[in-house]
Amino acid sequence: MKNRSLSFWLFLTPVILGLGIVVVIPFIYGFFYSFTDWNGITANNFIGFENYINLFQEDEFMNSIWFTIKFAVVTVLLLNVFGLGLALLVTRNMKTNNLMRTIFFMPNLIGGLILGFIWQFIFVSVFGDVAGITGIEGLNGWLSTTNTGFWGLVILTAWQMAGYIMIIYIAYLENVPKELIEASKIDGANAMQRFKNVIFPLVAPAFTVSMFLTLSMSFKIYDQNLSLTNGGPFNSTQMVAMEIVRTAFSDNQMAYAQSKAVIFFLIVAVIALTQVYYNKKREVDV
Amino acid sequence: MKKKKFYSGIATALLASSVLAGCSFGSGEESSGGDSNGGDEGSGDAVTVDVFQFKVEFKDQFEELVTMYEDENPDVNINVKTVGGGNDYGASLKTSFSSGEEPDIFNVGGPTDVDEYEQYLADVSDTDAANAALDGTLTSVSRDDKVLGLPFNQEGYGLLYNKKIFEEAGIDASSIETMEDLKAAVEKLDSQKGELGIEAPFAFPAKEKWVMGNHLANAYLADEFNHDVMEAYQADTVEFAMGDQMKEFTDLQSEYSVQPVLSLDYSQQVEEHFSLGNVAMIQQGNWVYNTIASMDQDFAQNNVGLLPIPVEGYEGSIPVGVPNYWVVNKESEDEVVQASKDFLDWMYTSEKGKKFVTEEFKFIPAYEGYEDQEIADPISKEIYEYANEGNTLGWVFLGAPTAWTEDALGVAMQEYLAGNITWEEVEQQATTAWEEARQ
Repeated sequence: MKNRSLSFWLFLTPVILGLGIVVVIPFIYGFFYSFTDWNGITANNFIGFENYINLFQEDEFMNSIWFTIKFAVVTVLLLNVFGLGLALLVTRNMKTNNLMRTIFFMPNLIGGLILGFIWQFIFVSVFGDVAGITGIEGLNGWLSTTNTGFWGLVILTAWQMAGYIMIIYIAYLENVPKELIEASKIDGANAMQRFKNVIFPLVAPAFTVSMFLTLSMSFKIYDQNLSLTNGGPFNSTQMVAMEIVRTAFSDNQMAYAQSKAVIFFLIVAVIALTQVYYNKKREVDV
Repeated sequence: MKKKKFYSGIATALLASSVLAGCSFGSGEESSGGDSNGGDEGSGDAVTVDVFQFKVEFKDQFEELVTMYEDENPDVNINVKTVGGGNDYGASLKTSFSSGEEPDIFNVGGPTDVDEYEQYLADVSDTDAANAALDGTLTSVSRDDKVLGLPFNQEGYGLLYNKKIFEEAGIDASSIETMEDLKAAVEKLDSQKGELGIEAPFAFPAKEKWVMGNHLANAYLADEFNHDVMEAYQADTVEFAMGDQMKEFTDLQSEYSVQPVLSLDYSQQVEEHFSLGNVAMIQQGNWVYNTIASMDQDFAQNNVGLLPIPVEGYEGSIPVGVPNYWVVNKESEDEVVQASKDFLDWMYTSEKGKKFVTEEFKFIPAYEGYEDQEIADPISKEIYEYANEGNTLGWVFLGAPTAWTEDALGVAMQEYLAGNITWEEVEQQATTAWEEARQ
């Protein structure tokens, strides 16, 4: 706190300026516009909470929120399980460690849009061909139903992000003091007990970070959604971000879309903050 | 500790400078981009016209045409800015208006756009191009005696078929007129799938809501609105008077299509299935020509035919319409407005311009006086012939409420194809959505 001198603020200026211009000011503007009938060109009337009242009565928006929540729950679970699993795998003393880490991390370097198209090809064409050869009915017609669309998105996201989460877990796993592991070995703990009682509590901070990341990320997903299913069939795999973009740019209801975005922001903020609060509390206890 | 501070200081400085550099780079690029697009700048330019257009497909050719125009008229400087595809264009156009960087020439689609931007649109009825525009192409941009836009081109669609496959199957395409004829042909194709080496007669991309909600539906809704987009634009409701035929045609396409239709998209339909001879027919229009040609030039040139969509009372007619209009911003200075009009006139009515429009843009002209021009691709040529003979159905879907065609009708049709709702419910849902939007 003491070093908040002139130079401190001077160094901070570019960041504050940047953040202010591209995040804070537009956010305030947007919040304001959500109470008007702004159509993207002019805002004529101040209409109070009308937009907010309407959006809670709109099935499509509610469906997209519900779909996003389901998606977030499943992906957060899967991502953390896979992430931790992969991290445990590549922190064992094996020669291929670095290679494996690179391979697992790689999908994360491909843009979401391209990944979506790649997986679309896999789900539609490759799955179809495999089904034709092996006769497994379940591989036919992927992405043409709501369920397969949902699982398609989950698989894509898990595959893309697991490597990233893995990196976070690796960082914490490698910081677990060797002597603690050794001590537990001497005390006669088996591998399972060691993981549960020693390693797991020590990587708890990693959970806070990855839970926050995965949660906010799976809520905000857009590009993968766009290229993989484009909301189809019949807009049933449309996530909130996409619903908002559609309202704004296809339906041309800018202010209404803005009010949806505000609600969306509130939901994500509340969930993410609560989650960080509880995880932090647990960390302190450990 | 001191060292750490020093490094973080350097880092901050670097970051700051990169941010600043980023800004200046960005703006520098924009203006230079504009200039280079406009060709030789010439210090004595009296007028500068900013064009903001959406058709990415012809960006290069359009800029070439602009350079040609500038060579002829050294006192005019034209800057072209292109932003791609449907939704993005609308959004960026809005942005440029709300930020005060209004273009002098831009594009609008249907009557909805015209109403939205009406306060900015100049009357272009005094141009030669407006006088030469074909009958009916100006309806959606006319507002009390004023003509607010000039048509880009005409587009049309129907069932594109593979001539070779039809020949091998022994089907005479010219004899197909009614739904029964088409059904018989489809069944014949289906029964010979193996010998013909096709997967199915159709590829029906039900994933693309616009294929169903815009084009398929339009064929059966045009009659209801007297082929007049403005009538659709003012209608309080939609009745689906030809709903039964529409259902029949949808069923026919989806039943005899490559399955599953709900995950079949436009690129699979055109590239994978039609261009490679995997299916015999697709419901598309002249815009797919370049895509097919990029897959198989010979096939595109010689083997693609066009069948009309069977609509009772309109056998042998295809839907033809104007997808987009050029408009001039009247808020610009008078001389800029005049220069803009002159440029559009030159593009569509001068000899050089006409040649370019048909040969390079590969447009189906929406203007008179193109009799001596050769239309570049065979699909467009066929459509132009239909249009000349007057065998056309109107394009009314641009007059539907905003996003209705896709988000109301298209979605409902997808649900129908998934077996979730009946056809009656499709019509009901779509009608309700229309009425709600028009209240």
